[in-house]
Amino acid sequence: MKHKRILFLTLRIFSATGGIEKVCRILGKALFENTFSGNCSLEICSSHDSFNQAKENFYFTADCFNGFENKRFKFLNAAFCKGIKSDVVILSHINLLPIGWLIKLFSPKTKLLMLAHGIEVWSLPLGIKKKMLNACDEVLSVSQFTKDEMIKLHGDSAKKYSVLNNCLDPFLPILANQNDSKDLRSKYGFAPIDKILFTLTRMDATERYKGYDRVLQAMALLKNEFPNLKYIIGGSYDKIEKNKIDELIIELGLKDNVMITGFIPDEILKEYFLMSDVYVMPSYNEGFGIVFIEAMYFGLPVIAGNKDGSVDALLNGKLGTLIDSMDINALRNAIETIIKSSSKAKVDKDVLMANFGYEVYKEKINGILN
Amino acid sequence: MCRIAGIVNFNWSTEKNQQTVENMCNLLKHGGPDDGGIFTSQNGALVLGNRRLALVDLSQAGHQPMHYQNRFTITYNGELYNYLDLKNQLIQLGHQFSNHSDTEVILASFAEWNVHAFEKFNGMYAFALYDQSIEMLYVVRDAVGIKPLYYSVKDEQLVFASEVNALKNVDFNWTKNENWPVFLMAYGHIPEPYTTFKDVSTLHKGSFIKYDLKNRKHSIQSYDFFSFSQEINHSNNLNSLIRNQIEKAVQSQLVADAPVGVFLSGGIDSSILALLSDQYKKEGIQSLSIYFNENEYSEKKYQDLVMTKLKGEKHQFLLSKYDFENQLPQVLESIDLPSCDGINTWFISKHAKSLGVKAVLSGIGADELFGGYPSFQRMNLARKLSLTPDFLLNLFKKNTKKPFNRISYLGMEGIKGIYLFMRGHYNVHEIATYLEADERDIWNIINDNPMMGDIKQLPTQNQASWMEFNLYMQNQLLKDADVMSMAHGVEIRVPFLDKGLVKTMFSVNADNKFSGKMPKQLLIDSCKDILPEQVWNRPKMGFSFPFSNWMKNNSYLEDLMQDSNKNTKAYFNDFKKGNLHWSQMMSLMIMKTRNEA
Repeated sequence: MKHKRILFLTLRIFSATGGIEKVCRILGKALFENTFSGNCSLEICSSHDSFNQAKENFYFTADCFNGFENKRFKFLNAAFCKGIKSDVVILSHINLLPIGWLIKLFSPKTKLLMLAHGIEVWSLPLGIKKKMLNACDEVLSVSQFTKDEMIKLHGDSAKKYSVLNNCLDPFLPILANQNDSKDLRSKYGFAPIDKILFTLTRMDATERYKGYDRVLQAMALLKNEFPNLKYIIGGSYDKIEKNKIDELIIELGLKDNVMITGFIPDEILKEYFLMSDVYVMPSYNEGFGIVFIEAMYFGLPVIAGNKDGSVDALLNGKLGTLIDSMDINALRNAIETIIKSSSKAKVDKDVLMANFGYEVYKEKINGILN
Repeated sequence: MCRIAGIVNFNWSTEKNQQTVENMCNLLKHGGPDDGGIFTSQNGALVLGNRRLALVDLSQAGHQPMHYQNRFTITYNGELYNYLDLKNQLIQLGHQFSNHSDTEVILASFAEWNVHAFEKFNGMYAFALYDQSIEMLYVVRDAVGIKPLYYSVKDEQLVFASEVNALKNVDFNWTKNENWPVFLMAYGHIPEPYTTFKDVSTLHKGSFIKYDLKNRKHSIQSYDFFSFSQEINHSNNLNSLIRNQIEKAVQSQLVADAPVGVFLSGGIDSSILALLSDQYKKEGIQSLSIYFNENEYSEKKYQDLVMTKLKGEKHQFLLSKYDFENQLPQVLESIDLPSCDGINTWFISKHAKSLGVKAVLSGIGADELFGGYPSFQRMNLARKLSLTPDFLLNLFKKNTKKPFNRISYLGMEGIKGIYLFMRGHYNVHEIATYLEADERDIWNIINDNPMMGDIKQLPTQNQASWMEFNLYMQNQLLKDADVMSMAHGVEIRVPFLDKGLVKTMFSVNADNKFSGKMPKQLLIDSCKDILPEQVWNRPKMGFSFPFSNWMKNNSYLEDLMQDSNKNTKAYFNDFKKGNLHWSQMMSLMIMKTRNEA
């Protein structure tokens, strides 16, 4: 990398636990490590986080971090002043496009990059932001699907669209010496003979594309043949959606087969992965789905939809099973195939790491910045 | 403490790789006089070398490179101060140990926790650890950056060593870093990550190189760092918190199977270390001090005062003009990366060696953490001055008086400009004149290398602490301490840079940390019960060493400068007239001895 002042603008990095925030933390780490060469400097400005939230993080030193705690004007002012002096500005979200556009207006030499994650770039009309896309030198989409959707909707508004797949968090626990899955099952009230399906998602009445309702329907088709089939839905939820899903569970006669956990802290998330047999999430609007590669990292076979960014995460089916997410029978059959196999279907770890390892991600970032 | 070197090279024969590492180890022998060894991987592409200075487990069981579980191999330089805690944890987890060294604890930690082991380590170290089952090499440096590690990756080949000098003769067709004289003149040292070669870098503190021998790819990843915060304040019973941390650090750093001493200068920091460590050892601690015949520079009376309170052996050495004159060429020869300081460390380490003391405690780090430098008071002013338009700042560039001649550095962005304003040696105009280069080019070299962000968001005095800790201490003090002590096979230990203490100090509210009438008030208050008042409540000494006077009539220096170009001669004349500091003259001497002037 040759002598660059890099400014990374984000909405949130630490004050939320979603996929976008995770991507921002990992990108922050990659950018921070690049400063070790002496050839670039880094500043990270977050609109919503506070400085205190950054001080204990493992990804990058808080010395390069500015948290504006929702003080929008201060954030915009700092972002603009720093941005026009920067060689590269990276926007973590399309909502930051106006400030990126303004920076580019006053400093055309500044290279403007924007991350495109998923639903946020295609779910709503962009309005004026569509014109602002012109200011972007490169839009980095987390999957081919996101890239295609953007081009479909916004044409060639940006100068260049490219794909930068998400990667595994380098701070995921190393898998040697983990607890035996039998112990974990007993800890969470499951029997050794249970076959456990797992989905990690926010249950949100306004974002209902993850497909857990269809997993329940597929389970109903399998329950007689596999009475020990269990399903864990992990992640925070809103009341409306929870009530709706509870009703569906009762309606399908799956009351004893389903566990809805609510939010699972990162520290114990690995235990859910380790005790499960299959990760299943037949979504149809996934930007990428970091959770798929995380599940595979923990050795879980994965079932995902074949119409969205999940295709990238599963390497076009090379790493897991892709199905038509709306086809309940296909879902049923995919689950059956996996749970019928005597041992967990093997995930090819070498292929996984060669495509979604942190080192590979960093190499791609360096390529883009240079 | 040892010296290490290694190579991964697929293009050379096994014999050439081995010979290269053996040659590097021979050049590092001064720092590891007790033992040596090399390890070669099965395919012969990887060779790790070690020169050992034995301090913990002096037996042959501590030989390096060391192996574990027929899978892991390490060559290690340093000390792990929490190794006994980690060892107990690892024994609980079923690990077995064949010796008493901290080296084996690092191996077992890695076997248990993989790269997450690194963040658990508290110590000073640089090591290379090879996992032969997956053919992965990890080259790791400690979080504070106490131990240096230099490396190069060229055409998929990796080579590393504890000193740049050891790399010089490796058949890698090195490219000289043409900018190093500029750095030396501006900073008085070569700032990390640069070295005298374009293709050799310093490994960043708290990071590791992960080199995959299967696909010949590498990446550099961070595993630990320090961030300032404001969470600890007086309500946390600050004095006793700090005192406990210092005591813990000193106790853990006294662990050794070889004699340990303390460098006692007579100042606050070293006096605290001497007084505390003396309590923890039954026979007391051996103290080593240097004093001068020139009273205005000598701290002997303060050393004497502290020594009366010590039960251990006391050693005071007179450093005379005669010694200085005789040994100066050797001092210059010991320098690895060009640096304008470290002379006193060279001499005191020499005496330590003659006494058979293998490790010594030093007070490095206290000034940076507790606010012992003038920069802590001047940072506010510097920030305000840096708002002055560049054309006004540049009016001072031809001024010959410090600090006015360095004001123009404030035109550089952020903390770098302020650092050079406060600690720079020569200004851009002087460097350009000396090197007969264009001022704009010199400005750009310094401005762009290394790139640094700003830290304006930190409280002002934490900015000074950041600057002294990450720039001055990192690039100057720690490098000088390492090289000058290892030139004699002596290890310098730095209790104030214990990881726990550093993390605590970085978390103390700046107002609480730097309040009080005296610089380092918090440190003084934490240790007032053991520290004589005359030591902490004494008049300031303007100069610390009489080197300027000694160098003015130094025959070696006269000879060295005799056939210099006109610029060098002009600067030498300036020095003799008293217009240059001795450390500025040192920079010129180093360039001269390395044929750069």
